[in-house]
Amino acid sequence: MPHPQHLVNILTGIKGAMEMKDATPLAKIIKKAERPLLVIGPRALEVEIEGRPFIEYLVDIAKAANIPICATAHTKKKLLELGMTPESTYDVVEIVNALKDAEWKGVKGEGCHDFVLFGGIRTDLGNQALSTLKHFAPHLKTMTLCKYYYPNANFSLPNYKKEEEWKALLEGLVAGLK
Amino acid sequence: MKGKRKKEEKEKIIRAEDEWEPIGHTPMPHVTDLRNWDRRLLETYKPFYAPFCDLCCLCTYGKCDLTGTNRGACGIDISAQQGRIVTLACCMGMSAHAGHAAHIIDYLIEKHGEDYPIDLGDQVNVECPNIRTVLGLKPKTLRDLKTAVQYAAEQLVHVVSSTHTGQEGDAVDYESKALHISMLDHVCMEAADVAQIIGFKFPTSVADTPLVDMGWGSIDRKKPVILVVGHNPASSSEIIDYLRNKGLEDKVEVAGICCTALETTRYSNKAKVVGPLSRQLFFVRAGIADVIVADEQCIRTDLTDEASKVGSVVIASSDKACRGLEEVSDKPTDEVVKAMVDKGEHCLILDHEKAAEVAVEAALKIAPKRKKEEPIDEKKAIELAKACAACGSCTQVCPNLLPVGPAIQKLAEGDAEPFKQVFENCIGCGKCEEACPHGVPIFKLMQAVASWDTWKCRVGRGPVMDTEIRKVGAPIVLGTIPGVIALVGCSNFPNEIDEIAEMVDEFARRKYIVVLTGCSAMTVGMRKDKEGKTIYEKYPGDFDAGGVVNIGSCVSNAHITGAAMKIANIFANLPLRANYEVIADYVLNRVGAVGVAWGAMSQKAASIATGCNRLGIPVVLGPHSAKYRRLYLSRKEEGDWTVMDGRKKELVDTEEPSPEHLAIVTESKERAMVMIAKLCIRKNDTQPGRQIKLNHYIDLYKKFFGTLPDDLHHFVRTERDIPMFFKKEVKQFLQEKGWKPKPVLSLPTLIGTYETEVPVEATIR
Amino acid sequence: MPEFHVDIGPQYEGERVRKEDLHVEFGGPKVEYKAELVLLKGLDEVENEKVEIIGPDINDMEEGGSYPLFVEIFVAGEQLEKDMEPVIERRLHDFCNYIEGIYHMNQQDEIWYRISKDAFKKGFTSLKEFGEILIFEYTSDIDIIEKMQVNFYTDEAKVKEKVEMARVIYEERRARARGLKEDDVDEFYGCVLCQSFAPTHCCIITPERIANCGAINWFDGRAASKMDPEGPIFQVPKGETLSVLKGQFSGADETIQERSLGSVEQVWIHSAIEYPHTSCGCFQALYFYIPEVDAFGIVHRDFKGDTPLGMPFSTMAGEASGGRQVEGMCGMALEYIHSPKFFQYTGGMKRVVWMPKEVKERFKDAIPEDLYAKIATEDDTTDPNALGELLSQKGHPWISGEAQQELEERIAKEG
Repeated sequence: MPHPQHLVNILTGIKGAMEMKDATPLAKIIKKAERPLLVIGPRALEVEIEGRPFIEYLVDIAKAANIPICATAHTKKKLLELGMTPESTYDVVEIVNALKDAEWKGVKGEGCHDFVLFGGIRTDLGNQALSTLKHFAPHLKTMTLCKYYYPNANFSLPNYKKEEEWKALLEGLVAGLK
Repeated sequence: MKGKRKKEEKEKIIRAEDEWEPIGHTPMPHVTDLRNWDRRLLETYKPFYAPFCDLCCLCTYGKCDLTGTNRGACGIDISAQQGRIVTLACCMGMSAHAGHAAHIIDYLIEKHGEDYPIDLGDQVNVECPNIRTVLGLKPKTLRDLKTAVQYAAEQLVHVVSSTHTGQEGDAVDYESKALHISMLDHVCMEAADVAQIIGFKFPTSVADTPLVDMGWGSIDRKKPVILVVGHNPASSSEIIDYLRNKGLEDKVEVAGICCTALETTRYSNKAKVVGPLSRQLFFVRAGIADVIVADEQCIRTDLTDEASKVGSVVIASSDKACRGLEEVSDKPTDEVVKAMVDKGEHCLILDHEKAAEVAVEAALKIAPKRKKEEPIDEKKAIELAKACAACGSCTQVCPNLLPVGPAIQKLAEGDAEPFKQVFENCIGCGKCEEACPHGVPIFKLMQAVASWDTWKCRVGRGPVMDTEIRKVGAPIVLGTIPGVIALVGCSNFPNEIDEIAEMVDEFARRKYIVVLTGCSAMTVGMRKDKEGKTIYEKYPGDFDAGGVVNIGSCVSNAHITGAAMKIANIFANLPLRANYEVIADYVLNRVGAVGVAWGAMSQKAASIATGCNRLGIPVVLGPHSAKYRRLYLSRKEEGDWTVMDGRKKELVDTEEPSPEHLAIVTESKERAMVMIAKLCIRKNDTQPGRQIKLNHYIDLYKKFFGTLPDDLHHFVRTERDIPMFFKKEVKQFLQEKGWKPKPVLSLPTLIGTYETEVPVEATIR
Repeated sequence: MPEFHVDIGPQYEGERVRKEDLHVEFGGPKVEYKAELVLLKGLDEVENEKVEIIGPDINDMEEGGSYPLFVEIFVAGEQLEKDMEPVIERRLHDFCNYIEGIYHMNQQDEIWYRISKDAFKKGFTSLKEFGEILIFEYTSDIDIIEKMQVNFYTDEAKVKEKVEMARVIYEERRARARGLKEDDVDEFYGCVLCQSFAPTHCCIITPERIANCGAINWFDGRAASKMDPEGPIFQVPKGETLSVLKGQFSGADETIQERSLGSVEQVWIHSAIEYPHTSCGCFQALYFYIPEVDAFGIVHRDFKGDTPLGMPFSTMAGEASGGRQVEGMCGMALEYIHSPKFFQYTGGMKRVVWMPKEVKERFKDAIPEDLYAKIATEDDTTDPNALGELLSQKGHPWISGEAQQELEERIAKEG
């Protein structure tokens, strides 16, 4: 199993995320989900990929596959500026708290989500949030879109050293989801 | 143990014949005596677990994988295991304070005798609200404080025992034990701080305590420098006394890191505050200290190695941290000093008076001998940074996820700004320098980007005065004071060290009462505004609207729970004595106070926060606190918010999630501020009070999120709750949400919604 | 909130504008004529949301200057009453202070307004905007104001004229307030704002007894109960007058019984011993019995020292609070000292033998001239035994027995 970029997140357990380096199988997995959800964190506001904020890539993904958004921290403001109204403004621990309840109605009232994508949450907090879902939410699967490997997700992108590779994956995903 | 003999034993200990208040239901509660309260609390604020490790390695059956529904060899599951670790952490935290309390009380009894009276000045009559409420004892002497600690210590044995293999298996019951021991943490902290205040004559009954110098730049490096690190003022007060007796107070610098800085400046306002825990390694490596006197808690465990590298000498002075050193408490002073001066030998001295003498005499001799390097400048830093090979090892090991490597690269290219940011956000662990295979002296580079400015910190003032509590009663009721915010805890901050000063400024200018303790109290002062003022110079130190109060050190945190208890007692006239359940219920439902532990790191922080939770005070935590493994979250509007109306004795579904959570992690300061404002809302708010609280909630939400709060309709009971500044748009919003008016209660209580001995009448008096 | 050049909110309330930050000020000690006045008009007499400026505007004025000002506000609404005028007028203080960069002090013809340089720089350059903000605040907060118009007079001659007109009105109102007796009205007002902290406490507010906290008088109570009928301030029908001297009314008793959850049966509003009014925790001062001299003292919240009871305010307040009737220890507003019925059933001002000198000086006008010097302060003594002797020396009428006899006669007559 690969190591996370930040060693404080090292896995101490036997179940770790599958590293996904290709957009195609990832797009397939996402499309198969009945009620996906995209959780966006504040790092997506600060991190840029070749001059373009990460959050804009996340918005592209959400649009491409019509995925509702949960805007954690203070990301709502920027999303509104980008023309997106998030379906939920629960903070990361609040949305995870709800997601782990299989009876929850979800952000659209249609039922709990079965596939949750994460992007823009700092790695230590993100990995902890994923731990909760790993142990307590067998009814859903998770994936991460950041340029770091998150051991506690089901599917995770690898640790990208080169921005271009990350960009390519994200754009490939958008294309595959349309 | 319930029984007649036990009851008699307790009545003897708490002096039942002393009739200052009727004795409540739970004098000196045992582990399970308040269990029903805990279970009721956790019904609404269910434990939320984020397992930090999927394994248990505590016994020889392990390692056991507990992923998902797997059970360990003893049968434990992942939730109970997290509860178990939380309980252990709270025990460690509580015992740190209990140990400190026991030590300091014994030390002061040696000096002043058991009967040394408790007198906290003429503005503080309710001297120990925690001890009064939890034990039912009104302490009068040092002996009484010792009694309180002994009771707590006995409870500790029972709680630690429950973490043994094959003991507790239920997560909620582990939480109950954690809540119990954490409540007792506040008892021990109170005993410690009250003992210190009376024993060392720290300031009390005064709001306008002096401002002292803060910052590594405030230290006169031409003088001999003694650094005190840790928490226990027994060491540092002896040093100050020795200097005063020898007329050397102006000739030797005494500087403190961590809580001992706050204690030392309460004893002498000539002492300096270097800064919080996050600056410990930076300061030690800068070699500014000639002698370092270390006592207990939060000190580098490799301090002696670090000191040797820069020619500083260490005196360890606590049995909690002997550091593998030879104990020389009984050796002749000259001999010890000689070994320190000539050979740089560190030593262990458990006699504080002796340690003080040795420290001063050694410092006087060492200082002229040492060639202290000046802090390096930017030019030198750029040169040294060129050794960086961009391998990325430092970035990988940083616990605060900082881009250390890229910043050093930029520095090598001549741009110091990114590295300055790294320093501002650095939590001071040293892993980066350790991991670097190319010997880049990262902590030395920091000297070039650190600010060598002198800031100001206000001396800790101890308990909130009874008169202050009475004075803020009316404004809190009528709403001109929207809440009490307590910024506490360690310096493991996610971002700039001055995010916390920003939060204090925001809430102080909005007329909240802001109190601070510990490393947070120091950190907030490390920022100057446009006019060159630190936050302590900008706002007064009164416990009143717009006041910024430094309560004191870690053990002073008990005065925060104490203040909440005093509001119930002094303002609402509820008896405290052995009445924990009623008081906690009161605080939860009717006192708009919120704790903020933005950089919580230690086990003590965990027990302090958990102790606040049992009393009904919610806490907002920074992102690192996700690693504590456990939060107390409600399901927001989907939870059950039924309470008993104490006036009509009926159950009422208020539909109002207030306070929404008891312990929550937020990632950004913007989210934290919005959450803090929301968590000050209580069901018994008067209409003017609710208007003002909502005004701030809406205003902050709009500022950071751009819209009205999405959950605003849950907090508007009638139209009179709507702040006038937003009336029209809120009315429209409410209409869109299909909002209907909700009940307004003046006496909401949880008593009566669960199985308890306490009658509903007790909440009214 | 509509867009204004400056921010509005309760957090600006304590904000001062110092001389260095001053753009322009109106009123204050340097200006002779200044006043603010709210008048009730008919619905057809008010042009809603109109703001007029008669004289120069802010951006015609010199930086740092002091100018005359008359603020004239017309309000109209079906449910508004003439007696509400001063209540509505007093809100100007809060509403001005809620505005970022504006500072308001005092009231009536002693007003002082300051506008900061920052506010001016941000674009707050006209009194028109000031008027618009005030209209926004007033109409947002007080539903029963249906129409509002604001006129700012800055022309010196006109201001003088208006101020002289206003002074007549202020005096009329003062006379009405002073002259209004419990006898003259059919309803009192009750307030339970403090009940979250003192569940059995309810203040009874009459024209001759202001609420314990000092914030709500009979006129305020009346206005509040009309503006917010579901709120914490409500009408209390007087019922039958059982005793004018005691201040006992059947309607008040019924209300108190209900609101105190049955723990208080009757209240003698102007008594400090038998059936006194309850105290919450918010009171400004205490009227307390000193057994050694069988007389009373007064002490206020700000007084830190010891009183003749051997304890400071904080300890005494603990004994008095919590919504109970405590004989000989009564929370009160300082303004109650001005009431002609001030604790009259138990001796009133003539039975007061001690108070902090700050209170004594402040309320000099409420103390009979020949009694003034005979009341002791903390400068004289706080020892109750020494107090007795001192009072005898001074010839205090209660100690001499003179006032006591007067009281007994009065009780015998009026009951």
